[in-house]
Amino acid sequence: MSLLKIEKLHARIPDGREILKGLDLAVDAGEVHAIMGPNGSGKSTLAGVLAGRESYQVTGGTVTYAGQDLLAMAPEKRAAAGVFLGFQYPVEIPGVGNLYFLRTALNAIRKSRGEDDLDAMDFLALAREKMKLVKMDPSFMNRGVNEGFSGGEKKRNEVLQMAILEPRLAILDEIDSGLDIDALKAVADGVNALRSPERAMIVVTHYQRLLDYIKPDKVHVMSAGRIALSGGPELALHLEEEGYGWLEKEPPKQAAPAAARTAP
Amino acid sequence: MRAPARAEESLLEQLAARRATAEPEFLAAQRRAAAEAFARLRLPTVKHEDWKYTSLAALAQIPWRAAAPASLDAAGLAALTALPAAPRLVFVNGRYDFRLSDLSGVPEGVFVGSLADALARAPEMLEAWLGRRSRATDHAFAALNTALAVDGAVVVVPPGVAVETTIHVLHVTVAEEPIAVHPRHLLVAGPGAKACVAEIYAGHEGEYLVNAQTEVYAGEGAEVEHHRVQLDGANAFHVGLLEVEQGKESRFRSHAFALGGQLSRLEARALLGSERADCTLEGLYLGRGRQLHDQLVLVDHASPACTSREMFKGILDDRARGVFAGRILVREDAQKTDASQVNSNLLLSDDAEIDTKPQLEIFADDVKCSHGGSVGQLDETALFYLRSRGVEAPVARAMLTYAFAAEVVGRVRPVELRSYIRRLVATRLPHGERLLEAI
Repeated sequence: MSLLKIEKLHARIPDGREILKGLDLAVDAGEVHAIMGPNGSGKSTLAGVLAGRESYQVTGGTVTYAGQDLLAMAPEKRAAAGVFLGFQYPVEIPGVGNLYFLRTALNAIRKSRGEDDLDAMDFLALAREKMKLVKMDPSFMNRGVNEGFSGGEKKRNEVLQMAILEPRLAILDEIDSGLDIDALKAVADGVNALRSPERAMIVVTHYQRLLDYIKPDKVHVMSAGRIALSGGPELALHLEEEGYGWLEKEPPKQAAPAAARTAP
Repeated sequence: MRAPARAEESLLEQLAARRATAEPEFLAAQRRAAAEAFARLRLPTVKHEDWKYTSLAALAQIPWRAAAPASLDAAGLAALTALPAAPRLVFVNGRYDFRLSDLSGVPEGVFVGSLADALARAPEMLEAWLGRRSRATDHAFAALNTALAVDGAVVVVPPGVAVETTIHVLHVTVAEEPIAVHPRHLLVAGPGAKACVAEIYAGHEGEYLVNAQTEVYAGEGAEVEHHRVQLDGANAFHVGLLEVEQGKESRFRSHAFALGGQLSRLEARALLGSERADCTLEGLYLGRGRQLHDQLVLVDHASPACTSREMFKGILDDRARGVFAGRILVREDAQKTDASQVNSNLLLSDDAEIDTKPQLEIFADDVKCSHGGSVGQLDETALFYLRSRGVEAPVARAMLTYAFAAEVVGRVRPVELRSYIRRLVATRLPHGERLLEAI
């Protein structure tokens, strides 16, 4: 049985537009899936819906996660059940310490697993170890959540959170956007270190570049609110050459797209 | 003239019953003029421009009595608020309590003591300052305070002396019946002097009125920090006037926290009377239940090249109301003025309300003035961010609410005072007690 099974998912964004239009996707534990597609195809909406963003309204379909009805769960319950969303734009929260925030998050999740709270000292040791993984300066721990962080630092902080929370299903929404090559490598190294047979990852990206560093098992192309095409890593390379233009022309059902147009 | 309301009746009686005590003539003259002024002014109504959004109708119906001397032991005090560190002056029902006070750590040559004591021992030290900036004849509460003040804190720092420690002034009210107290404080920092004072107001749950007035004089090049923490009891009325006059190149910082009471009015007026003075006025007001927190601020740029910064933030829940009226006056001579004002508000409930009124009056042409502000709710994306990490919704809301307040709290420089205020603020936010280890 798949860890995540999405069937005929429909969802609207707050302005009422339907963005997801009957999306199907199945992800097994141990797999890394890349979801690619042009702007506006629904990638980020899918990520938000899976994590439980309340301003997105699900109007049809089902999402089953580890045998449970994911859509019936509040965002914090999804987190407790092992779902993690890495944000495209991580939020700055001045006045709330990064360290405290992470410990609160971890202990909330531990509690739901029936585990004891991690005390401040043990947590600090864990956080230090995980920070090395993403090459993050320990001084960031004493600052407000993402407060004054650069784009790259925010993304490292997302991967750090994932490393500490150890989700079963990680959805990374454009984790590569706005990163220079060094930051991209650090983020990708962090993600790769977390690959495991128990864990599934969905990597949402606009560009093939990220997939040079995080090798997916499967690649999906989204168009107009659905998965238009699925394949292996070679599909991403093809997209790099051809762009997304052909999608609008004739949404293909099979591997090799016939016509090609240069993406903007 | 209209018939006096019950509060006015009893206050007028108290004014009439005043007996000439053995006090300096300069003060006796101020008191006479102030008593006459109140008889003429009476309590302001909503027809008064400065009280448009804040009705004193409830206050006006209460027959306020003068406070009788009361005593409070350390345990009774601890039930109301923590005893601040020394040096501290503690007042109970408006009178100095030497047993609860502790003046250790006051440097030699610096006067820290009660007003009653200073008037008895060194009236010449006060004559040039006490009442200098008070609006005792054109502001009803200033008039009442001037006429009826019994005691208060006096801090006089001689020229060039730096007092590094924070001087705490704790004012506690315990009321069996409705009483009105009129604390009167004076802070004088001579040229090049440095001082930091924190006024804290706390009290019982009974109905009482605190009508406080503080005058601050910062001499040339002086550096003064002033804090007001208003955590009066839930049924209290609090009117606090802060009058500031700054000398050349002086720096003044004020941090006002309006937390308690049923109705709170915190006024601050700063006169930048000499060039290159620098003034910062900041405040945070937290309203819940049916509390009303009103802040009225005037910065008077009367000299060239002065700087003023105002930042006021409000968090209003339930049916609480907030008022912010900030006036910046730039007089004709005040060229090269640099003034800014920000008022931001967070409304946690549909029934909470804020009236915010910035007012810039500029009569000089080479100036930099700005004002801005916002009224909003918690950010939905930030809330989702926290919840997606497993943080329960109520805790996530508390975190974000605290984060909004943290900027103002963070400006309080003395470490102990800051952590004291942090706890006070956090525990007054919905589910804030779960935040305490965070901040």
